Amino acid sequence: MFLEAKNINKGFGAEKVLDDLSLQLAEHEMLSILGRSGSGKTTLLKILAGLESPDKGMVLLQGQDMGPLPPNRRNIVYLYQEPLLFPHLNVFENIAFGLRLRKAPEGAVQKRVAEMLANLELPEQARKMPHQLSGGQRQRVAFGRALIINPKVLLLDEPFGALDAETRASMQQLLKRIAKAFAITALFVTHGLKEALIMGDRIGLMQQGELKVYDSKKAFIEDVETGVQAEMDFWREIE
Amino acid sequence: MSIEEQKSQINGISLILIAVILFPFAFLLMLSLGRRWAYPMLLPAEWTLDNWQAIWGGQAGLGESLLLSLALSLSIATIATAGSFWVSKQVAYHRNRQRWLVLAYLPYVFAPVILAACLQYFFIRWGLSGKLGGVAIAQLFITFPYGLIFFTSFWTERMLSLEQLIATLGGNTWQAYTKVLLPVAKGPILTCFFQLFLISWFEYGLTALIGVGKVQTLTLKVFQYINEANLFFAALASCLLVMPPIVLLWLNRRYVFSKVI
Amino acid sequence: MRTTAHRTPHTEMQKTSTYIGLGLFFALTAFPLLLGIGYALLFSLGLAGMLSEGFTSEHWQAVLGSESFWETMAFSIYVALVSIGLAVTLAMLLVVRWPRTFESTPLSFFIYWPLAIPAIVMAFLIFQLLSKGGALSRLAFQLGLVDGLSQFPDWVNGQYGIGIITAHFFMALPFFLILYTQMYSHEGLKGLMQQAFTLGANRRQAAWRVAVPVLLRRSFATVVLYFLFVMGSYEIPLLLGSQSRQMVSVLTIQKLQRFNLADIPQAYTISVVYSVMVVALVLWLLGAKKQV
Repeated sequence: MFLEAKNINKGFGAEKVLDDLSLQLAEHEMLSILGRSGSGKTTLLKILAGLESPDKGMVLLQGQDMGPLPPNRRNIVYLYQEPLLFPHLNVFENIAFGLRLRKAPEGAVQKRVAEMLANLELPEQARKMPHQLSGGQRQRVAFGRALIINPKVLLLDEPFGALDAETRASMQQLLKRIAKAFAITALFVTHGLKEALIMGDRIGLMQQGELKVYDSKKAFIEDVETGVQAEMDFWREIE
Repeated sequence: MSIEEQKSQINGISLILIAVILFPFAFLLMLSLGRRWAYPMLLPAEWTLDNWQAIWGGQAGLGESLLLSLALSLSIATIATAGSFWVSKQVAYHRNRQRWLVLAYLPYVFAPVILAACLQYFFIRWGLSGKLGGVAIAQLFITFPYGLIFFTSFWTERMLSLEQLIATLGGNTWQAYTKVLLPVAKGPILTCFFQLFLISWFEYGLTALIGVGKVQTLTLKVFQYINEANLFFAALASCLLVMPPIVLLWLNRRYVFSKVI
Repeated sequence: MRTTAHRTPHTEMQKTSTYIGLGLFFALTAFPLLLGIGYALLFSLGLAGMLSEGFTSEHWQAVLGSESFWETMAFSIYVALVSIGLAVTLAMLLVVRWPRTFESTPLSFFIYWPLAIPAIVMAFLIFQLLSKGGALSRLAFQLGLVDGLSQFPDWVNGQYGIGIITAHFFMALPFFLILYTQMYSHEGLKGLMQQAFTLGANRRQAAWRVAVPVLLRRSFATVVLYFLFVMGSYEIPLLLGSQSRQMVSVLTIQKLQRFNLADIPQAYTISVVYSVMVVALVLWLLGAKKQV
């Protein structure tokens, strides 16, 4: 397995957030995880990224134990709901950030950032500062900044949560396209039922710190707990 | 009232207030240039540049005090700003941040001169009394808490997320500071630096007590001249004391006083 | 109150820096204060210092039983209350009545200038203006209002602390003008006032029922902190105070530096009483702040 989490437990004080959670992710796969706020989704992603440490259990990437590795040496990028662009850098430099950290030669930086900007449909915005962009544009810059360093795994924490419905739909399509083009391995966390179905190759449901991953989308739809059935009943009744 | 009338009213009030504000500065400057100011006279009888020329090389040692004060306050502001920036971060993300902050508020509001009185014994015992180093340490005790309180509000959840993002992008701690945290914090750092400079620059009681009058900063000079009833030199020393903050204001008022308390 | 971020340190390096940070924090905030107050307490009880002869409560009895001590405390509180009360009231009146004045161009720059005047220079200025031989007295003479300096009232070094209060008032006024001008725009007071107008309030009602309460509430902690600053102030009462009625810092230092050695334990006793007052007020203030 490419990425594996084994029997993760995590609590804050008396509150148990993750309860013996295990999960497997194949290479180039996008797994979407559906869950309400407070179900432990964010904690799970932070543990995978190395930003929190589990009380028990381990994280394996390509068979290697990630436990001793600090976040900056895991090559797993965690993206927040907020784009968190660096306010003092323009779009170009925000995307180039990871390459600059790695001291990539100037020529390569110019070339790769230009390619990325084209891919994200943002070439005209290169010299703009973050505060001059729209919400969707900012989120695209955040993707570009993550993708350009070829992370092994991308962790997306409700990335479209702050966007309006229309932008959200176009961003979903964009992300799907890029995910294919870059052969990304990713975990996509959301509380939107439809979004979970659109984005994931497989789908999981997170409830009270436990994760249930479905073998197929059909199985996900048929399970009463996911709420898909209730949703379908609602639309049927309107007819 | 029409808009025009309102405007002219505002302009009128502004002019009066500006005159009131500028009066003390003009008054100080006048006294520093004066000589012989007998009682019922409104203005000094003679005007001279002699006082100003005596700053350097004169018996007064004003130039030396000016340099000493500048060196002391710049060092204090640098050390306390850098130190409190880093230390406040450790506290800001601590579980009991609120409780720790109370500890910073106490010395922040405590009268510096009473703090100095209570600590005088230890400064004498440790051989720091009457020394520049002793005054510097004592001034750190009052500037550091200010810096800590100032910077704790900078370390927000957003800053923490930003820092974590840098880590997942592959940046180490050094890179996080140099490439993002410090550039983003540039404004607050400058503001804090100016504020701490002023606290040190304006300090009198604690400096007098711990320095036993041997560390002659500008504020001590002002007091000395007032005691000697030499009002022309007291005004001159006051001018020197007021000028650097005004210059800082001229450069950028946004950074100097953007957050006073 | 917003939830505060906190991180779980998970590398050894992060843990170490947290410990060093907290250690430095303590060493430069609470430690000197505790050390000083502790020493003052021991000294006041006869347990430290050159003269110590074992535990005694005589210094505490002497201080708490003396009229001049209570007069000093009351005078300090009076000075702080009056000077800040006047400054806050006038600043609020000006900002609420002419909110745009202080944002207009030349004034928005000059309004910061008074903050460049340190307490000792302000004390010197007020002395040169208000004392019997000062500028106002000369002006009064030229206008024929007085026949000589002896006729001019004793504003400086007098019983009512008029000089001290004036100096603190002029220090505090620009500070609160800036504070309230900033608050006026940040708190969206213009919108709130307009809301009040549409609900039928006139100018006076909008000011009294909306602007003033909002500004007072938001600035309450700052006002209390400023009160403590004025209460503990030193340079201004040192130069402008009278011999008989002193503020707490001046009395403490004077007792400490007198040749009469018996006064030193009393100086420390006063320091301890002052510390207890400051600590109590800060704890109360931060406790109250939490509930808002």
